[in-house]
Amino acid sequence: MSPIPPVPVTGIGCLCAAGANLNECMDSLFAGKRKPLPPTRFSSDHQVAYPVFEITRAFPADSSNQRSDILFTAELALVAAKEAIENAGWNREVLKNRQVGVCIGTTVGSAMNNEEFYRSYRSGGNPNMDAITRFLNSNPAQVIAAEFGLTGPCQTVVNACSSGTDAIGLGASWIRSGICDVVLAGGADELCRVTYNGFISLMISDTSPCKPFDANRKGLNLGEGSAVLVLESSDLCRSRKQSARASVLSFGSGCDAYHLTAPAPDGRGLKQAIAAAMTACDKTVEHVAFVNAHGTGTPDNDRVESLVLNELLPQIPYLSTKGYTGHTLGAAGAIEAAFTVACLEAGEIPASAGFETPDPKLLTTPVKHQTAVNGSIAITQSLAFGGNNAVVIFGKGDI
Amino acid sequence: MRAAIEGIGVVGGFGCGVEKLRRALICGKCTPKMIPVTTRNQTAELPVYLCDTSSLESFINKRALRRVDHYSKLAVLGSFLALEDAGVLQDDHLNLAIVVATGYGASLTTFSFLDTAFDDGDACASPTLFSNSVHNAAAAHISILLKARGPNLTVSQFEMSVPSALLAACRLLEDKVVDAVLFGGVDEYCGVLGYCWQRFFGPDSAVSMKPLEWNNQSAIAGEGSAFFFLTRDEGNKPKYGFVTDIQIGHIEKHESQSQLGGFLFLGADGQKSSGIHYARCIQQGTHAAVYTPLYGSFPVGFAIDMAIAAVSVREGTIYATPRHAGKNSGLKIIWNEQHLDSKRIYCLKFSCKGEYGMISITAK
Repeated sequence: MSPIPPVPVTGIGCLCAAGANLNECMDSLFAGKRKPLPPTRFSSDHQVAYPVFEITRAFPADSSNQRSDILFTAELALVAAKEAIENAGWNREVLKNRQVGVCIGTTVGSAMNNEEFYRSYRSGGNPNMDAITRFLNSNPAQVIAAEFGLTGPCQTVVNACSSGTDAIGLGASWIRSGICDVVLAGGADELCRVTYNGFISLMISDTSPCKPFDANRKGLNLGEGSAVLVLESSDLCRSRKQSARASVLSFGSGCDAYHLTAPAPDGRGLKQAIAAAMTACDKTVEHVAFVNAHGTGTPDNDRVESLVLNELLPQIPYLSTKGYTGHTLGAAGAIEAAFTVACLEAGEIPASAGFETPDPKLLTTPVKHQTAVNGSIAITQSLAFGGNNAVVIFGKGDI
Repeated sequence: MRAAIEGIGVVGGFGCGVEKLRRALICGKCTPKMIPVTTRNQTAELPVYLCDTSSLESFINKRALRRVDHYSKLAVLGSFLALEDAGVLQDDHLNLAIVVATGYGASLTTFSFLDTAFDDGDACASPTLFSNSVHNAAAAHISILLKARGPNLTVSQFEMSVPSALLAACRLLEDKVVDAVLFGGVDEYCGVLGYCWQRFFGPDSAVSMKPLEWNNQSAIAGEGSAFFFLTRDEGNKPKYGFVTDIQIGHIEKHESQSQLGGFLFLGADGQKSSGIHYARCIQQGTHAAVYTPLYGSFPVGFAIDMAIAAVSVREGTIYATPRHAGKNSGLKIIWNEQHLDSKRIYCLKFSCKGEYGMISITAK
């Protein structure tokens, strides 16, 4: 079987608790910096303040990105899109005249769950309808398309924690099929009390900084952020003499069909997704430089991922970057895709933050220190509520 | 782009299944239920097209459904009806992909989750309600019940959710990732939505939908689902024809539809904010029909129009627009049932923000 055509990645934008742009994020990762703290934008009555990886409201340096008419998730998406477009060398006015699609993953950004509004509603009050209007104005893909005057396909993927990864896979498909010249693909999500309480209720939040793949891991820390990749056709890339930072070689997806929130113990959906992606790009394990694992720090997730990595990608270095960012839900796959490309470019991966003590029940361990990597491709993978598993394989540099 | 439509499952205010939909089309009428909604200390009756999902128990035992909420039940029922209609319900669905469109997701469960935290404190928030509140819970339940392990995708783009998700479903078939996709749209009504409806449109909101009167706010809230069993075009004649094109874009780049050479099914649903776009873009004299008065206004109602188009293709009949859909002097509205012959049907939907989606369905 011949491989499917690669799709160039010409620009990346990324922000999260680790940094205000991709370069800052990578500096933090390679410096081993991480600072989860109790949330500052909301409070709760839990007896313990579960740490989160929060972006301070003033974090986006450009004040023109801050808008009161949309949700913070949409603001985050805009900031990353702007960085990505600039990084790809596109002029906004020129881009408008192309067939440009937008495909963005989110969870919180698509949920109508404004607590202030609902509290007033259920107490028979007269809540301000601005909360609803703001929600209706905040579909992340729609907000990006409107801001940049883009009129191609527009899609917000709501596949829980694999949304960002799915969005990149779908965006690459739009390029390959000729539906679009350019696609802005990624994910965005903000911290909120609903998900904070929700993950605590499921008893999969850690009261201390998360420790993916560690023997003492107790769960995840939530985070927030966004990342957008500029994908474009090879022909367009060549015609404007734009070099690619990497290429999307393939995408694989599989569903566990097992449980609403827990992964299948045998990792069947993840195995299926990895196998599908490897087959589609016609690469073998020898080509793989590293794997950016989902690595939430929950006992179940890390056990299943370790099992699958040991079986399908033995001896390949892997890490979780959630120790630096927290679990950013619908943005996670996109942020981790951005990190994966940056690490492929750098030829090294940072230490898997939070990992100290190997778990005797796991057959693999992530990298404990900054590690040089060889190989022409890298894998980033996401597991999600609903049993979704999504995998994107990136190839190095120009194609 | 071609996808064969082999089965349809619909759930709406008109009932469940293709036959109930067909009967509603023939009689041209569906009566909404009246639901009390209180705003600013005043209670008013709001008409809503609500769905009954009790027939789901003929497919799945009650015990297996005990943690499945109304939103997911709507989707599961639509899915099982579509598979049954296609004659594949009992087949192995291991490689089946599931693609779901939703505008608002599991709204009722989301607010019920908030209730648990408000009533008993954050530490007592319900994990079951949280798990079911995510937009992709419906797709997850379908996959678990069918043991479908193909790609599983949920898309939320408000009124554009259906064409956007259908694009993804067709790509899975075109790219030969899978041989079949269960595609559909689902949205539910909830009390908060009714409250917002009253606040936005006032206590005098419509009791009868007149979607052809573009400047008249006459939308009536609805809920429902429509699912389709789609396969690749392998040269066989599918039960309901083919999806042959999906166009998604913005009114700024929308071309007039006068030269389409087929019938236009308008997704106009009595929302004044989107009605103005139909008025602006559809050429005078275009042959058009509108069926939203049979199922109401909700983000993925477009999927019901798609089902009506597919049923029309199967029957070789264009059903009459319901008589009370309003007056429109500019278009050639199909007021009487007529023969479809070999023409194509275009389902067109505008969002209030000027985005549009157009899905073409044809017999060949």
